[in-house]
Amino acid sequence: MNRIASLLERARAADPDDRPPNILRALHAVQASLGHVPQDSVPEVAAALGVTEADVAGVLLGYPDLRTRPPGRHVVRVCLGESCVANHCGRVLKEVEKKLGVRLGDTTRDGRFTLEKMYCAGNCAASPSVMIDEDVHGRVAPASVGALLKDYR
Amino acid sequence: MMGRLYLSQDTSARAVGAERLARVWAKVPGLELVRTSSRGAIFLEPLVEMDGPHGRIGWPNAGERDLPGILQGENGTPIERIPYLAKQTRVTFANAGVTRPLSLDDYRTHGGFQGLEAALRLTPQKIVEEVTVSKLRGRGGAAYPVGLKWQAALETHADQKYVVANADEGDAGTYCDRMIMEGEPFRLIEGMLIAAYAVGATEGYIYCRYEYPVAARLLRDAIALLTEAGYLGDEALGSQARGGGRFTLEVFVGAGSYVCGEETALLQSLEGKRGMVQAKPPYPAVSGLYGKPTLISNVLTFATIPAILARGGAWHASLGTEQSKGTIPLQIGGRVKQPGLVEVPFGLTLNEAIEEFGGGMAAGARFKAVQVGGPLGSLFTKSGLTIPICYDAFSRAGAILGHGGIVVFDQETDMVELARHFMAFTADESCGKCTPCRVGAVRAREILDGIGLGRRRPGDLELLADLGETMKAASLCALGQRAPYPVLTAIEHFRKEFQ
Repeated sequence: MNRIASLLERARAADPDDRPPNILRALHAVQASLGHVPQDSVPEVAAALGVTEADVAGVLLGYPDLRTRPPGRHVVRVCLGESCVANHCGRVLKEVEKKLGVRLGDTTRDGRFTLEKMYCAGNCAASPSVMIDEDVHGRVAPASVGALLKDYR
Repeated sequence: MMGRLYLSQDTSARAVGAERLARVWAKVPGLELVRTSSRGAIFLEPLVEMDGPHGRIGWPNAGERDLPGILQGENGTPIERIPYLAKQTRVTFANAGVTRPLSLDDYRTHGGFQGLEAALRLTPQKIVEEVTVSKLRGRGGAAYPVGLKWQAALETHADQKYVVANADEGDAGTYCDRMIMEGEPFRLIEGMLIAAYAVGATEGYIYCRYEYPVAARLLRDAIALLTEAGYLGDEALGSQARGGGRFTLEVFVGAGSYVCGEETALLQSLEGKRGMVQAKPPYPAVSGLYGKPTLISNVLTFATIPAILARGGAWHASLGTEQSKGTIPLQIGGRVKQPGLVEVPFGLTLNEAIEEFGGGMAAGARFKAVQVGGPLGSLFTKSGLTIPICYDAFSRAGAILGHGGIVVFDQETDMVELARHFMAFTADESCGKCTPCRVGAVRAREILDGIGLGRRRPGDLELLADLGETMKAASLCALGQRAPYPVLTAIEHFRKEFQ
């Protein structure tokens, strides 16, 4: 947990003195380093920033992309935006679920993949989209899902 | 030397194979591969280009094995003769597909900074007047007159003012902000610099959504380059003696909350708080970030500013319709043959957009409905396609243009499932501040779940309508106010499917 304290010191340094601490920035820093923000770190974060635990928990739970559980090595996000819906992304999602053997929100037992949904990858002219880590893949057909996942060990 | 080819580095181009081509071709000796922005004709990507005697020549949907033919110049299409591109009026996207996103030289030689230079010769009040004359309206969705916003921020006295770009492009079906940030980040920043000079702001932020990591990285690189070149920093806006001075810019990344695209929630989030919508007034231009006057606009709005200052507000006001001036980058997606970005003056009909640019329906698909304006936009059927694309006509129809997203659905779309999807989205994304939105969206989704499973109860549709009216009337922001529209228009046009 010392790691969190030193992380926060750096995040805190980015806040000008005359402003309240930026909790979201601090939590991003924790997540960037640990992969997630452990829920039991809330008191420590609050103490380091000089805010209440309620403040920290409110921010942590207010943002879907702040994770309280460690993700798999790769995060697979199936886009459910309207253009992907129009291009029948439900079939892609089903295939991904089948290939990975998990449902939305879950992590494969070997810790390789976490499966999530997203509302729009901004790749709507090449729907359906699947984002794996920071790579967006377009025109994804159910049949191409297997090959797509293979590249991520 | 064997030759120089151009290939886009835009996320959508990479998503459909440009990155693979780049990887393979990087090993070809003597081949120079220049990575540019994308022309927005995403259906043609990966689009490989080469310099020809009269402009670029292109090879659409190129594959690895096409390289020898391309280098021989075989069967290429002159870019200017591609109808999809030739019929557009490119202003904000004039350099799309042409320049390298992070090349200041490219930006300068293609008209970059002309708007800023023109602005720095004017007084702040004159700049605001130019923007007012242009009749530019906010492109993020609310369509508020930009000149009024700038005037308010200019007139409010404070020791500190901010300029904030809303790059939380959360409306599904839209990607023009992403294309600006990835393709020509300098244009966005130039617009912000002009705004900062006009209203007297010294600090700015670009609030970029978490889903756009590439855009955030490019913006940070662009800021570093501009700081080094003196466009940002202590003398960004000319010497202090002449009324200019400092402007610094920072990229702040959100964390996946749709509601943070609403300006008051965005500013809360930028302060590091939970993104909750705040009641207005006070408007951000008077009291925004940390309680200081804050000029906040969407990315596209700022990116439109340089051309207005360079060419004059009157020029901008000469394009478009009575109440909707300038151009709009439509983002056409869904089941059309030619999905992509189309910049045209306001006023063409929805049908023209779908047929002339979208190329009609994709192979095997029949038109069923089209949604305009993101997940909160109304659905139109065939009979509604004659509507001209402009704020006035859409608002008369009870619809919104939003951020210019157009998504076409085909005959295989189950309207009950689609309506359920809309309400599931709202239930997921409601910030919870307004009860009608927080509870109404969940109740509506539950009802639609039931109908989808064939368990429709008497009074369901009436209850949906009632929930919808309550959400419209009693929610603070567009999410609650507009979420019922796609659902209610789906029921209106496809009632049979709900019975």
